Amino acid sequence: MEKNPKHQSTEGIINDDKVIIVNKLYKSFGDNDVLKGFNLDLKKGENLVVLGKSGSGKSVLIKCMVGLLYPDDGEVAVLGKNIPKLDQDELDHLRVRIGFLFQSSALYDSMTVRENLEFPLRRHWISKSKEEVNELVMEALKNVGLEDAVDKMPSELSGGMRKRIGLARTLILKPEIMLYDEPTTGLDPITSREISKLIVEIQHTYQTSSIIITHDMACAKIVANRMIILVDGICYAIGTYNDLEQSKDPKIRPFFE
Amino acid sequence: MFKKNRYKDFLKETGEISAFAGRFFKEGFKPRYEFAELIRQCFIIGYQSLPLVCVTAFIMGLVLTVQSRPTLEEFGAESYLPAMVAISVIREIGPVITALICAGKIGSSIGAELGSMRVTEQIDAMEVSGTNPFKYLVVTRILACTLMLPLLVIVGDTISLYASYIGVNLKGVVSWHLYYTQVFDTIDFSDLIPAFIKSYFFGFVIGLIGCYKGYNSKKGTEGVGLAANSAVVVSSLLIFILDLIAVQIADLMGLT
Ligand SMILES: Nc1ncnc2c1ncn2[C@@H]1O[C@H](COP(=O)(O)OP(=O)(O)O)[C@@H](O)[C@H]1O
Ligand SMILES: [Mg+2]
Repeated sequence: MEKNPKHQSTEGIINDDKVIIVNKLYKSFGDNDVLKGFNLDLKKGENLVVLGKSGSGKSVLIKCMVGLLYPDDGEVAVLGKNIPKLDQDELDHLRVRIGFLFQSSALYDSMTVRENLEFPLRRHWISKSKEEVNELVMEALKNVGLEDAVDKMPSELSGGMRKRIGLARTLILKPEIMLYDEPTTGLDPITSREISKLIVEIQHTYQTSSIIITHDMACAKIVANRMIILVDGICYAIGTYNDLEQSKDPKIRPFFE
Repeated sequence: MFKKNRYKDFLKETGEISAFAGRFFKEGFKPRYEFAELIRQCFIIGYQSLPLVCVTAFIMGLVLTVQSRPTLEEFGAESYLPAMVAISVIREIGPVITALICAGKIGSSIGAELGSMRVTEQIDAMEVSGTNPFKYLVVTRILACTLMLPLLVIVGDTISLYASYIGVNLKGVVSWHLYYTQVFDTIDFSDLIPAFIKSYFFGFVIGLIGCYKGYNSKKGTEGVGLAANSAVVVSSLLIFILDLIAVQIADLMGLT
């Protein structure tokens, strides 16, 4: 494997199986129409970046994919299951296979880093011995380069470290799909680049398929295999970073300037 | 226009709180039961408020005794002092003051904690980790409050009665034996039971409102402050309203 993950080839990782299909998704809050017939498909193994201004409904979109929000209309098929139709048990089973990195990292303030990482293991009825759990925790922390932080409280960590721990907590269940909600927002450019590289590394080591929501072009450039631009509640454009960068469309240009 | 909206909001919120309470009963009795978390919450809630409850109970008992003495003296009825204080502490002051203290202490901390968990997406994170956050966070806290408040009231009552003994002895001498014979001659089960039942309801209201406000907290940091603040205001008010209702019911049942 090469040192810099950016130059790793994605050949053999991405194939044409669709792991997520979003079809004509509608969602509104009161009279605020957020998504108005959004379409998307995520291929197995790829990193798909969804670009959009803040408040354009990016978080709403991925929350519909894990059943945190219910669409008003449309289909959200994840790993072959239509999310809005699942009952609680089926949803919980499916959620083990989907990792969600929250915008605010969402570490549990009242627990140490170790307890944070153990939480999804304990709660998903994954019964393991103490040693196995400890091993998984240390492995997940090693993958994000923060083994020292294991007994710290979240309040003692910096923003970038919290992101990494959040990532470790998500990765501990070895998800097939990762959903990242603005992974680099609020971080300095250097830390942002580290997180972006980590996302690519995860794609390669765990063979995950990921949707990365962002408005940070530097991050998009590093991680994206394909990009979607969300404007006015619909999928406005699809293409690679280079394709879209050439575009003269007045609604696409602002992202690259 | 402004007034009409306030009125509508009030009705809407009342409905929402009722629905929240309904959800508590519906989800609370279905497995999976979060026993470990319930015990932890009971410990935290009881332990957090114990010092404050003890101090206020002590002061209330003492002050009540010292202030009632002159009036009773005027009627030459000083010997009724222990009995009178005991009745007011057991029936009314104990439960209500303890509940108000806990509304301030527990209600605000639940409101702020759940509020910040909502705002920083910790509640969503729990949900995707295969945990029903309503059961894990809300049901355990409401139950813990409901179970712990009566215990705190009992502790508070006891301390108030000790303090009252000290108060009685500040002027004049009454032996411990005489004091408690007088107290226990006046108190009977028709005083204790309504007060005890009432405390369960007070605890339930503190937990319910704290959780409701925190769980439905608005986005942003001011949402957390608002959740904590309104949890205290609304639950304190509800404690008085419940107390009013409890008095009427006890009266109708002849438990006076
Ligand atoms: N739970 C909710 N209730 C009401 N409105 C919401 C909710 N979640 C999001 N919205 C609204 O949906 C719009 C899109 O929000 P969001 O998806 O968070 O934007 P972003 O693209 O910045 O992630 C915003 O106008 C927001 O106010
Ligand atoms: Mg967002």
